[in-house]
Amino acid sequence: MDLLGFIIILVKVLVVFAATMITVMGMIYAERRVSAFMQGRLGPNRVGPKGLLQPIADGIKFFMKEDLIPSGADKPIFILAPAILLIPALMTFAVIPFGSSITIFGREIALQVADVNVGILYILALTSIGVYGIVLAGWSSNSKYSLLGGLRSSAQLISYELAMGLAVVSIILLAGSLRLNDIIADQQGYFLSWNVFKQPLAFIIFLVAVYAETNRLPFDLTEAEQELVGGYHTEYSSLKFAMFFLAEYANMITAAALTVTLFFGGWDVPLLDESSLGLLGAILSVLSFILKMAFFLFLFIWVRWTFPRFRYDQLMRLGWKVLLPLALVNIFLTGGYLTLTAMK
Amino acid sequence: MATIIKSYEPTFWDKLYFPALLKGLMVTIKHFFRQKVTIQYPDERHIPPDGYRGLHRLNKYPDERIKCVACEMCAAACPSNCISIIPGPSPWDDGKERYPVRFDINLLRCIYCGFCEMACPEGAIELTEIYDFSNYSRDDLVIDKDGLLGVYELTKKQNYYTKKSHSPASLPFKTERT
Amino acid sequence: MPFIKIDEKEFEVAKGITVLQAALANGIEIPHYCFHPVLEVVGSCRMCLVQVEGMPKLQASCNTSIGEVALDKKLDGKYDMVVNTQTDAVKQERKNILEFLLLNHPLDCPVCDQAGECYLQDYTFKYGNAHSRFKEEKRVRPSESLGSNIVINQDRCILCSRCVRFTREISGTNELFVQNRGYHSKVSILKDKPLENLMAGNVADICPVGALLNTDYIHKNRFWNLDTIPSVCQDCSAGCNVDVFSQRDEIFRLTPRENHDVNGYFMCDIGRYGFHRFEEIERVNQPLVRNGKSFDVIDWAEAIQKTADLIEQSNGKTAGIVSPFHTNESNFLLGLMINGMLGMLPAIQAEEITYPSGFRISADRSPNQRGMNNICGGLAEDLSSEIKTQAIRGLYILDDGVDRELDDAWKEILAKMDFLIVQSYAMTDLAKLAHIVLPGLAPYEREGTITNDQDRIQWLRPSLSIKAESKPDWEILMLVNNALNKKAENFTGLDDVIIKMGEQFPNYSGITLFKIATQGIALNGKKM
Repeated sequence: MDLLGFIIILVKVLVVFAATMITVMGMIYAERRVSAFMQGRLGPNRVGPKGLLQPIADGIKFFMKEDLIPSGADKPIFILAPAILLIPALMTFAVIPFGSSITIFGREIALQVADVNVGILYILALTSIGVYGIVLAGWSSNSKYSLLGGLRSSAQLISYELAMGLAVVSIILLAGSLRLNDIIADQQGYFLSWNVFKQPLAFIIFLVAVYAETNRLPFDLTEAEQELVGGYHTEYSSLKFAMFFLAEYANMITAAALTVTLFFGGWDVPLLDESSLGLLGAILSVLSFILKMAFFLFLFIWVRWTFPRFRYDQLMRLGWKVLLPLALVNIFLTGGYLTLTAMK
Repeated sequence: MATIIKSYEPTFWDKLYFPALLKGLMVTIKHFFRQKVTIQYPDERHIPPDGYRGLHRLNKYPDERIKCVACEMCAAACPSNCISIIPGPSPWDDGKERYPVRFDINLLRCIYCGFCEMACPEGAIELTEIYDFSNYSRDDLVIDKDGLLGVYELTKKQNYYTKKSHSPASLPFKTERT
Repeated sequence: MPFIKIDEKEFEVAKGITVLQAALANGIEIPHYCFHPVLEVVGSCRMCLVQVEGMPKLQASCNTSIGEVALDKKLDGKYDMVVNTQTDAVKQERKNILEFLLLNHPLDCPVCDQAGECYLQDYTFKYGNAHSRFKEEKRVRPSESLGSNIVINQDRCILCSRCVRFTREISGTNELFVQNRGYHSKVSILKDKPLENLMAGNVADICPVGALLNTDYIHKNRFWNLDTIPSVCQDCSAGCNVDVFSQRDEIFRLTPRENHDVNGYFMCDIGRYGFHRFEEIERVNQPLVRNGKSFDVIDWAEAIQKTADLIEQSNGKTAGIVSPFHTNESNFLLGLMINGMLGMLPAIQAEEITYPSGFRISADRSPNQRGMNNICGGLAEDLSSEIKTQAIRGLYILDDGVDRELDDAWKEILAKMDFLIVQSYAMTDLAKLAHIVLPGLAPYEREGTITNDQDRIQWLRPSLSIKAESKPDWEILMLVNNALNKKAENFTGLDDVIIKMGEQFPNYSGITLFKIATQGIALNGKKM
């Protein structure tokens, strides 16, 4: 790899990282404002214009807080756990294509950090690593609430990962590739070529599973504050807590991006050939990607402030008895369809 | 007699759950766009509806005579014993004979029930719409006759609060609020 | 004895009493205005109308006396009279009477000082109509001063004529009369003869409505705000029973309390307004000790010790001066402490006044002269000469709180004394000469028993709280006595002192405050 290619990748990494971080801040603000609006309140509106600087104020507050480590905690793991959660959450974004490609100085640059040919597997693998962060945080805190939160989280993530993985399998069957770019290319064209229309059942299973994976309501059993105080991060404070906070929102962003990529044609603008429009096409594709993602991020918040939390047994029943069989049925149907069309 | 209540049997449509979920989402999004109920207190002030029971006032006749005849009906009706009156012969020759030499209301004791208003035979004591009269000392929250008459001056012509008024006129307490 | 039935109650009554008296004595309420137990019956208010069986019309119960009928004429074979107070006719009659009485009444209860103790209010509430049918303009007449602290509000007057009869029969001064006739009637005075006698205040008390008012109390307070303490007047030896009305440590008025053995229903104006004397006095709030021309403040323990030391050093040459203004207990304890020569300062005398009704203002204007004489055996007849002959060096004076002119002999004695201890609530002339001043309690603050000039022991009850560092007088004397004599008895309360007093003076044995209660006890079983 030449130096220029290295620099380009470095710039892409920085841009993606910065964009993620800014989106996290935006999400924190949006979560508070949107929830307030839905409850007939105004929400934070005193810091900066319309309260836009509130996330910064929150961040400064986190910096200023005293960093507490419980005396009974397993110190190294306690300190490591937030990082284990946060780093995979940020890393996941590396393989997600956020636009078509642009050509600068005769060089075609794909708007994606790393074009891995097993992108889906990479994502599934990384999200699974994140579970360790939660479990270890819960265990190392030496607190009953944290431990229960961690245990619930691991059980929940494992349960829903299955359904999610199987839902994705049907997409892979359609695209015939694990590469995300291939999946997007498979959806190019007009609206109905998007996977959400080809695989509505898979989309619903995937969406539900994604909410469980990100520990969002209605599946936030891991931090059910009425029962578990704060769940796995009960004992965390200051910057370590901020990292959990960050990881949660980063996970949401990744999940939204993944949903868009897998089911909504990624950066695809319907009925438009982006590559023919050059730079404009690239910008349009990025905007399309951002818009779609923004909708799903909003959906995350919207759902959170609409639905009540599942009971633990209901959660497990939904995962194992409803989503998993449905996903399997979906694979069979998709496989059957593909076999039938191939036979013709 | 035991009544048997049949539990609701969900239909297939109900069992799909998604229609109900969408309905729920519609409710919240409707609220998202609705007028918000929060009032930005120091910047804007809530205007209480008519009949709101806030700070008291002592009414006067147009010619500045105090309506109160110090009959102590309000003090007798008061369930929290917050009114103390010292009567005296009236300085005006209007056939009313009595008038309050001192008229103190302990605003901390008062429960704003409005019984004094109802008991008053002269329509002299009234509760106004003023609700934000907090102060820094307990002594200052015992409002005297001059204070009550001052409240009357503030509220006789118009509502104490106007829409979006940032700072209404200061109240006639013993020490100025900061 | 006639046997009668009123409503469903049956009882025997004395022959010749009225239906109203019989009913009141047996707990049956018949509303009335003009009737007063000691005044002549006029039957002018018509409020007490009742239905007497066999009579064609309703009868004024205050003016219908009960007699015995022949055996064969008894109603139901046993009753001499059957009276109904609750029939529809009676109820309707009461409503009508009240409507008439209220025709021109201004209904100004909020500004009326009688409100709360007004019979017009009470009866209207209980028996009257809720509304008046009188739509015309009400008659408005000006208030008038009748003299001697009494004003009359003509609008409120119901012309019961209690006040008029009072001046005729009780005070015998005849100032009040009903002027004009019919619609124009009003209680009035002659121009050159205002209501000026020492019993004038009572007309405001006996007025059942708010027509006659006492200017001393008018617009000062409301009746229901006041705490009422039954006590005894302290302005003369007659010892009239009074109710003291106070609020927040301030006395607002005194009214006579019914006691047929002492004052009947009335009191004089000297006593009625006497409490004002104690409102603005120069109080002694802390024990004081002389330092040159001025006083230093010292604490109680020191003051008691100093006093005891002075008395001890005098070697029995200390004389005690008791006071006819103090309670029996205080005087008794001073006698117990000095155990030598006791005497008193010149008595305060004035003219004795007796009214035709028998009401009496004693010549002796100190409340407890008789008690003091009873309790302190061997009072020196002529104290000033005794002091000289016995070479007394110190005086312990229970001060009256009254400034009096002392003659030259006394002034000389006081100047010659080695020490002068004055127990007083006020900075009197005597206290100003003292070496040590011990702050006691003022009248209406102190509690104890006093004996009136008819040998009736009565309970003086406090209405006001103890001011500053003052102590009850008996307690001060007990403390000094204990400092002097280690074996002296330690009294825990007034009752202890009274028991001890009873041991030394058989007249006072067996007395407790509980037995005295509100009506007092005649000493030695002697009735007045």
